[in-house]
Amino acid sequence: MSSSDDDDERIPFIQRPEWSDVRPVPQDDGPHPIVPIAYHDDFRETMDYFRAVYLADERSRRALDLTTEAIGMNPANYTVWHFRRLVLEALNVDLHEERDFIDEIAVRNSKNYQIWHHRRWVAEKLGPQAADKELEFTMMILALDAKNYHAWSHRQWVLQSLGGWEKELDYCCKLLEDDIFNNSAWNQRYFVITRSPLLGGLQAMRDSEVSYTVEAILANPQNESPWRYLRGLYKGDTDLLVSDNQVSDVCLKVLKTNHNYIFALSLLLDLLCYGFQPSHELKRVVQFLGKTETDSSDANLATTICSILETVDPMRSNYWAWRKNNLPSQVC
Amino acid sequence: MLVCKSKSPRREKLGGPGESVRVRWIRCSAVVRLPPPAMDPEGLELERERHVLFLEMMMERLPSDFETQEINHLTLAYFAISGLGILGALDRVDKDQIASWVLSFQAQPRTMSDLDNGQFYGFHGSRTSQFTIDDSEVSSHNCSHLASTYCALAILNMIGYNLSNINSEAILISMRNLQQPDGSFMPIHFGAEKDLRFVYCAAAICFMLNNWTGMDKEKAKEYILHCQSYDGGFGLVPGSESHGGATYCAVAALQLMGFINADISSKPAKSVVVDVPLLVDWSLQRQAADGGFQGRANKPSDTCYAFWVGGVLKILGFYHFLNKGALRRFLLSCQSKYGGFTKFPENMLPDLYHSYYSFAALSLMEEEGLKPLCVELGITAINDNGI
Ligand SMILES: [Zn+2]
Repeated sequence: MSSSDDDDERIPFIQRPEWSDVRPVPQDDGPHPIVPIAYHDDFRETMDYFRAVYLADERSRRALDLTTEAIGMNPANYTVWHFRRLVLEALNVDLHEERDFIDEIAVRNSKNYQIWHHRRWVAEKLGPQAADKELEFTMMILALDAKNYHAWSHRQWVLQSLGGWEKELDYCCKLLEDDIFNNSAWNQRYFVITRSPLLGGLQAMRDSEVSYTVEAILANPQNESPWRYLRGLYKGDTDLLVSDNQVSDVCLKVLKTNHNYIFALSLLLDLLCYGFQPSHELKRVVQFLGKTETDSSDANLATTICSILETVDPMRSNYWAWRKNNLPSQVC
Repeated sequence: MLVCKSKSPRREKLGGPGESVRVRWIRCSAVVRLPPPAMDPEGLELERERHVLFLEMMMERLPSDFETQEINHLTLAYFAISGLGILGALDRVDKDQIASWVLSFQAQPRTMSDLDNGQFYGFHGSRTSQFTIDDSEVSSHNCSHLASTYCALAILNMIGYNLSNINSEAILISMRNLQQPDGSFMPIHFGAEKDLRFVYCAAAICFMLNNWTGMDKEKAKEYILHCQSYDGGFGLVPGSESHGGATYCAVAALQLMGFINADISSKPAKSVVVDVPLLVDWSLQRQAADGGFQGRANKPSDTCYAFWVGGVLKILGFYHFLNKGALRRFLLSCQSKYGGFTKFPENMLPDLYHSYYSFAALSLMEEEGLKPLCVELGITAINDNGI
């Protein structure tokens, strides 16, 4: 079986005896093609033969090999992939072999939608017994690029459709240990704690997750991901977000360090807008920051926060100014 | 289409083979956190004429490395033509030629009863698997695709073609075959990934044809709402990570379907359908310290997200809150001397995708010399003939 890897030794179809009975179907670009592509001869010839077998609906071993070659050159072509599936079904090919084929080409094409769709088609046919292998496969891709969106989508689909939830939280922990800034891993963590059938859901997990997240925030308060995750842990329950001391405490701790406190101020502002009553200590700490950053010491706490943010977050200073002018009337 | 796929050269550069994953990402995160570039003393300018030449070159002939994208040939044409539209240079193309080329991709049912056979009668993505109508078994070789159909109609619209000339009923009735019970769309009748990109394409198609029989809007809305993540952004499918491109598809589709109040920025606390304050906060936070926009939290800035995320802010009425000066500087630092734009400032060669979205982003910013964009449709002007 030839593939695009051995380009140098590629024998044109026209010279291959096993294809001598097939008349290639050339591409009809019409009289005035727009944005025409300068195709290589190999590419053009392969697609000409593909068109011939596709049009003849020839579901044979050589047609399968031809799709392998065509995919090597043109992996985004969904028609080739579709025809390959028809051939695989007609020949009743062992899909474990097909999975090996995808393993081979996936690393080079890890951001190709069609390959992931094909992978899913194979896994779906193999059923729950394929779960471990699929999780391993995505782990391999994520080891090369821990934020590969396709790999994460596939992994979430595997968990939901085929199972394999047992070690998923551990996997998230490991990835976050490697890189605590990996927002994809935080997202996966949220997916696991809200959807795993083994963990009891968000409410059951909230306390332990808040502790984990607070620790991550204190280690890197400039990291947006755990701040958003923390809010996510109270999704749909604003009252609890406002009343849970752990939330305002982590803001206070970060503010006291006098360093990297933008996300702390932003969360605190939202808490105040939701009706949070700040402690004297919190007020004092914010006002201290306000004195060094701005001149608004007599304003309410929310206003002071907006003024500080206007200064320390220059990318969004217009936004914070607008927030300052649109605070709820009852805000502290 | 709609998603930027090229590999991050930053990562390639930083992540040599001997480097551990951990070190690599810590350093990568450090790159994201650089302070904003100082005001450029020379004052970078948009090299409009050079960009027009770049696109004209693309129109003339695409280099052979576009082979692997040939299945999206109409999308490539859309980038070039819409790009010329933004640059105000559509007078340089032969509109009749373009119209007949685009129309030649439409899949036609033989009879109206074909519309119940489960296939989609839109536009083919390319010639690869399109066969002339007298070929045998033509009906089983229909590969028309939602994204190609969106691009075809967008191009026709921009060049002033009267959309009432095309068989829109065939497109719309058969498009319903693609909508899934959960409200999402698959792009092609024989199955492919289903996600927000194709909900957007379907909404844009209905909008341009001014006929909503092609989709169940309520179901599509439900699906979009399920894609809003805990952080306020949208993922491509429910449960996936918030992403600039997916968020654009969600917000633009809601806007086209009429679910977003045109003036919600003045009443930010409540919105009928989405958590807007959280979405705005997430979107504004995507402007990184270097002035550019990132597609996801803790990722490097990339020119295309200046359109995807900027577009979200524009639709929501919060565009004036981003830092325009810093964004413009970032974009112009990605302007290639060959014409076009690159993905990252350190890249040398422009690519068509990032060039197009940089033009679009600069148009949102009302850069001098650029035509305004209908942001939710992704085209320069709405053609009255079709509506
Ligand atoms: Zn990009």
